[in-house]
Amino acid sequence: MTKQSVRLTVNGREREGSAEPRKTLADFLREDLQLTGTHLGCEHGVCGACTIMVDGDAVRSCLLFAVQADGCDILTIEGLEKDGKMHPLQEAMRDCHSFQCGFCTPGFLMTAYAYLQEDHEFSEPEIREELSGNLCRCTGYQSIVAGVQLAAVRLGKRQEGASS
Amino acid sequence: MKPPLFEYHRAGSTDEVVGLLAEHADEAKVLAGGQSLVPLLSLRLARPAHLIDINRVADLATIANGNGNGNGNGLTVGALVRHRAIERSDVVRTANPLLADAVRFIGHSAIRNRGTVGGSIAHADPAAELPAVLLALDGEIDARSARGTRTIAASALFEGFLTTSLEPDELLTAIRMPAWSTGTGWSIQEFSRRSGDFAIVGVVATVRIDSSGNVAEARLAFSGVDQVPVRATAAESLLAGATPSDDLWKSAAHAAAAPLEPGGDIHGSGAYRKQLAAVLAERALREAHDRAKDAR
Amino acid sequence: MRFVGESIPRVEDRRILTGRGKYVDDLTLPKMLHAAFVRSPFAHARIKSIDVSAARATPGVVAVFTGDDMRRFCNPVSTSLAFGVKFPEFYPLTSDKVRFVGDVVAMVVAESRYEAEDGCELVAVDYDQLPAVADYDDAIDPTKPALFDELGDNVVITNAPVSWGDVDAAFAEADRVVSASLRQHRVAPVPMETRGSVADYDASSGELTYYASTQSPHSLRLQLANTLGHPMERFRVLANDVGGGFGLKGSVVREDFCVAAASRELGRPVKWIEDRNEHLIASGQAREEMVQIEMAVKADGTFLGMKAKLIMDAGAYPNVPFVSAMFVGLMQLLMPGPYRMKGYRFESSVISTNKAAYVAYRGPWEMETWVRERLVDIVAHEIGVDAAEIRRKNMMLGAPDDRLITGLTVKGISSRESLDRALEYIDYAGFRKEQEAARAQGRYLGVGFATFIEAAPGPAEMRPGGGMFGGERAKVALQPDGHLVVTTAQAPHGQGHETTLAQVAADEMGVPFEHVRVVHGDTRQTPFSVIGTGGSRASTWATGATIVSTRKLREHVLAIASGMLEISPEDLEIIDGVVTPKGVPQRGLPLAQIAMKALMDPASLPPGTDGPLETHERFTGEGITGSGWSGGTHACTIEVDVATGRVKILRYVVVEDCGRVINPAVVDGQVCGGVAQGIGAVLYERAAYDSEGNFLTSTFMDYLLPTSAEIPHIEIHHLETDPDGAFGFRGVGEGGAVVAPATLTNAIDDALQPFGSRVCDQYLPPATVAEIAGGASA
Repeated sequence: MTKQSVRLTVNGREREGSAEPRKTLADFLREDLQLTGTHLGCEHGVCGACTIMVDGDAVRSCLLFAVQADGCDILTIEGLEKDGKMHPLQEAMRDCHSFQCGFCTPGFLMTAYAYLQEDHEFSEPEIREELSGNLCRCTGYQSIVAGVQLAAVRLGKRQEGASS
Repeated sequence: MKPPLFEYHRAGSTDEVVGLLAEHADEAKVLAGGQSLVPLLSLRLARPAHLIDINRVADLATIANGNGNGNGNGLTVGALVRHRAIERSDVVRTANPLLADAVRFIGHSAIRNRGTVGGSIAHADPAAELPAVLLALDGEIDARSARGTRTIAASALFEGFLTTSLEPDELLTAIRMPAWSTGTGWSIQEFSRRSGDFAIVGVVATVRIDSSGNVAEARLAFSGVDQVPVRATAAESLLAGATPSDDLWKSAAHAAAAPLEPGGDIHGSGAYRKQLAAVLAERALREAHDRAKDAR
Repeated sequence: MRFVGESIPRVEDRRILTGRGKYVDDLTLPKMLHAAFVRSPFAHARIKSIDVSAARATPGVVAVFTGDDMRRFCNPVSTSLAFGVKFPEFYPLTSDKVRFVGDVVAMVVAESRYEAEDGCELVAVDYDQLPAVADYDDAIDPTKPALFDELGDNVVITNAPVSWGDVDAAFAEADRVVSASLRQHRVAPVPMETRGSVADYDASSGELTYYASTQSPHSLRLQLANTLGHPMERFRVLANDVGGGFGLKGSVVREDFCVAAASRELGRPVKWIEDRNEHLIASGQAREEMVQIEMAVKADGTFLGMKAKLIMDAGAYPNVPFVSAMFVGLMQLLMPGPYRMKGYRFESSVISTNKAAYVAYRGPWEMETWVRERLVDIVAHEIGVDAAEIRRKNMMLGAPDDRLITGLTVKGISSRESLDRALEYIDYAGFRKEQEAARAQGRYLGVGFATFIEAAPGPAEMRPGGGMFGGERAKVALQPDGHLVVTTAQAPHGQGHETTLAQVAADEMGVPFEHVRVVHGDTRQTPFSVIGTGGSRASTWATGATIVSTRKLREHVLAIASGMLEISPEDLEIIDGVVTPKGVPQRGLPLAQIAMKALMDPASLPPGTDGPLETHERFTGEGITGSGWSGGTHACTIEVDVATGRVKILRYVVVEDCGRVINPAVVDGQVCGGVAQGIGAVLYERAAYDSEGNFLTSTFMDYLLPTSAEIPHIEIHHLETDPDGAFGFRGVGEGGAVVAPATLTNAIDDALQPFGSRVCDQYLPPATVAEIAGGASA
């Protein structure tokens, strides 16, 4: 089957490639653009490890074809760091020992990144609900929830010491 | 888990979509949000020769007051409107609070960011929320093909598991909801094993009360109890004109669940689903009634 | 001590958080091919024929291999750790029969994974279906066919009864004998990264490099080289970042052999990344056992004796290198737990069925804790004694002469303290009142608790000379810039050993934490270990090995410095990487200076110190203080919605004793992760087969992992017994997963007492809970 050209912006850079229409965006990012920070944990839209931002929304990159992303603006885990400095979300997650094996990490980061773009309460129950589309098998989630909450405080989205 | 080969068509307009559907019909699948279709492709459980991508058809992505029947209070939602857009829409919240609540039960944020109204209806998963809402509220859909446009009532749409009365060359372009009567209370109750999963059983209900506080009209529909969403008409008749009480909700819920013959699976037997249907229906009716009282 | 005991941020985290981790699927080699497998749709069938011609003609397909090919490329799969089980002859791909849904029948190698899957669809296999051996009853049914013809039947091993104490006398003395048949169900480890590997055969050197997602690189190398008949000096296994394992990735799987063989045959790198569908179907499952148990008690609740008969369903193919039957020995050893009794008898058998292989899963002996702690509650209910009181009455306090009925010493064990503390934190007495008030309103609250002990590392008599695996080695080397490289036998996959071992080495040597690099996962560099990371070994064994090797290196460095400074080594210390005469900081010699001198001018060194500044010591357990037992008590409170069967966990309290804690945040992470898996096993997870051996949970829509919304906040308290012991670090990785199922099932059973509950199955999905509460049958 013939490949089709795909032009998109990834982490602020114009990128171009070509892909069979059946190639998922996740595979295109990983294989064609060598952006292996995005992981594939289930390839059927449940685990959330492949979550990235497309035109400002968190989406599953295993459920999009690369050709569909032609012209889109994409942010992946590799784009969170700026000038060698981690994003406050990344720093908070490091400080909370949020992750263990690191495989689910890109999905949680991008899900939390999108969540932190909005105004919310960032209470523990709310964070738990918001993150429930991402699976982690190592941590029992506690440290991830703590990391997101700490990031919310550091980003001025939540009062330090607010209840729950 | 990689999709099989297919030919990809990116449509720019509704005309183009129906043209492609006319050409490929049985061989084609419409690609909207892809949240159900792409997993089926990746598992190679579906293998359409052609995928018609409607994501760039802007005029399918609008939300409008009015249901096209001259009733300014109804609601028309384009097939490509994302669940997330409904969730955030003040228009929907006002015109149909049940629909606004129901989309929040669909998957997770990242799923709702892509998933579409048309996709949820056309996919016709019997456990899904939106088919039950459409059925409970007597909604309709618009179907367009090269042969013309027709309207299909929800009651005539769902034919079987993942099967609708849409013809292979037809595109679902919008769903239309009738006017939301003032003073109508609503509820959606679901039981799923985990947050965001398809419900084992779900119930949507509306209750409208008259000036004396009696039930003027009640609507009740189930998801997850059959091959299609199921409207509980017997219970609705029982409720009409009745005086609200805990006993009423309980007896109506049992009347609603009684005719059901759900199948079992790894999550529970048919009998368990039937029990859930009664429990959830009762909770839904009570909450809908509470909201109806609050609305007065 | 500056680093041990602190929640130092992990070394691993920067790469993980910025997308720079290197997992096996991130590796791309020139000319690399991709593999996919044709798997059996049937549980049990004979293969009549396989036609691969259409697959070979598929665009992009380079090769298709079948069982007959693998018989030419490989020796039969074997293991030296078969523990007496009947071990069949089998090859990486099957050619005569398929023995479970997902059995590997053919391998397609193509230019892309997409094309490999296209090829798989075109491999035509003609099967003749056989009756499935789907459960315990089928396995002992003589009319059912044997999975492996040459083994004759489906019983893998029958272990004769073993007794301790006077069992008959204990039972003769009893006022009551309480019996139960307790079952747990198949669950799966399910790391978020599936299995996978890249094999790279270099025809010029004959070298096969195998990049893998493994928790045991050396065992993978041994198995692969043996089965492929490949010379070991030309076989290297490399593991970089590994996305979780939980025991599963200690197994060497048949796909591994195929990938390595394919690369050698084709002379090109071959990548295989298992997809989630394959993973759930075929990677392996765990925990399927049934125990018939009797406990003899006095009317006042005093335990007298226990008799247990266990059956394990090991699935179709034996797990290698460790056959799963070996876990039965651990269950036998630990089942009586920290309770006094006069007699104990245990017998067991392991059977084989048409299911995926039984693999190790976080605390593979967990059945002993679940059975014991569930049984203790059942006994308490039946004789009308409070569940906390009956435990207090029978639990050993860790007195000097206390021994498990199975003989192991438990001096200093903290089970009782952990129980008391857990009950205090959960406010047991207060909750009982709350429960009573709630029941009066038709609400059903429950409280459950359970105690476990874990031989990590176990008491001294369990580990002469380092125990079954001879302790563990580590290498430590001083670099020319004064930094340290610690090369560990561990193969971490989330445990943070790059951080924790660096903490230990930095303190021992006296260097900044940032100056220590921990290297792992390369069989050409790392000390041998057949386990790698597993069995909660790292805290004790890898840490001990790092300490003894670092200590020896430090002595070497001080001997050199002593000559250079003309000061006795006893009067020297190393502070922040500088060898310093005690009390005279200005006369310090930086380690870099010593290292450079040793490299550039060894002739000038004091006699006997001119060897390389590298050590490679084996830690045998000498110097370990304390009881040797990890353990603790978990307690939780719940509310059950009896109409739907929903269980809501209100509080979950952990009191854990893993000795001295190296990095509290890392330890807490291990505890929380284990608890989440235990909760998952009870409420959500089940690898389900029907009575024909069809597999029913092959996607994440069916095999339900708990999410952040289901797992509660977990309150953790540490009993840091022996906080200053030089080697007082004990294992912590498995305990959470071991005791959580007992804790939660006990709470559910407690909540449902008004309905006459007697929970004997560990799997309690809402449908089952609702049924116990008088609802429709599940």
